Amino acid sequence: MNRAGRLEELLAAFLRYGSWSALAVIGLGYVLALISSHRPTRNLAALPNMRLVSAGIVLFILLPILRVLLMFLVFVRERDFRFAFISGMVLAIILLGIFLGVPAT
Amino acid sequence: MAGSFSLWLFAVSVAASALGGMLGMASGIFIVPILTIFGHIEIHKAVGASIVSVIACSCGGAAPFLKNRLTNIRLAIVLETATTTGALTGVLLAGIVPVSYLYLLFAVILFLSAHQMLARRRNPVPGSAPAPACNWSDPLGLDSCYHDWELGREVTYRVRRVALGMVLMYGAGLISALLGIGSGVLKIPAMDSAMRLPLKVSSATSNFMIGVTAAASAGVYFMRGSIVTEVAGPVAFGSVLGAIAGARILLLVSNDKLRLLFVVVLVVLGIQMLLTVFGVHLIEGSL
Repeated sequence: MNRAGRLEELLAAFLRYGSWSALAVIGLGYVLALISSHRPTRNLAALPNMRLVSAGIVLFILLPILRVLLMFLVFVRERDFRFAFISGMVLAIILLGIFLGVPAT
Repeated sequence: MAGSFSLWLFAVSVAASALGGMLGMASGIFIVPILTIFGHIEIHKAVGASIVSVIACSCGGAAPFLKNRLTNIRLAIVLETATTTGALTGVLLAGIVPVSYLYLLFAVILFLSAHQMLARRRNPVPGSAPAPACNWSDPLGLDSCYHDWELGREVTYRVRRVALGMVLMYGAGLISALLGIGSGVLKIPAMDSAMRLPLKVSSATSNFMIGVTAAASAGVYFMRGSIVTEVAGPVAFGSVLGAIAGARILLLVSNDKLRLLFVVVLVVLGIQMLLTVFGVHLIEGSL
């Protein structure tokens, strides 16, 4: 009945598992940070496992961008070139922003 | 930064997000005022942390809407060209606009949200007779339908005034990037009033677009170093857990009392943000 039904299922699964993974990486970072400190410390930021937390944050930022990429690929496969073009444009705008953002301090 | 500060950030985010989740509102609108007023965090860092939590809540909450076919993904991707362009404009402006203007703009958005919360959103049943099947007649194939479980039938809807919608979405994207909020407060009226979408469709589609819009600005903020792990980590982690809790509590609490509490909190934060512009601190932060 709904022609986009399968794409919606795919996006739902991707976003659900993606969010849980990113959340798990952040959580793991904090747990490891707490375990690896032999003496009780109040300075969490100094611990090396904070890198895992940063990775989780990057994962969260990548998630919607990859979602657009996924839509792009599905539209190309379905030969829906107008919508492939539109999703490609959204991706291009996001990437342009990241390139523009680099030189600023 | 001390561990107790991380815990405080985490707790505040859980609370803000649970409160927001109970009324279907993103937590971003609370995070930045709380972090700047009580946490004395510099507003650009607060915006960076908040934008990550906005992405997390959008992605984390998208699946049920998609599975029920409430999200119009074709319309979403069309409008995302406008929201992401707006987000880029916002990010570029963020470095230029004086901080006091950011506080001022934030206060305006808080008051606007309070107003919107008071004026109940109704779900007008589409005037047209129940159509037996979906038909797509517009050139981009944006019209769609969904199964409304309350009404027990398929609701077919048409998408109107896409051009006006695009202009409004550009504005929503700009505000989202500048203030680190999802700006559902601007997206939903644009879709309700301008594009005449059913309420459930506009909420779901707005939630879906918020993630990409926020990611467009978060990417730039991350490259610039405005997203500080020590702040953004606990905030993102806390707000996702809060959003999950909020959706559960939603079923237990009276909606009207909650709504009123919400309005009061929004107005108080709005007044304090406004006063910050003039260097006055009524509610002083304490950790």
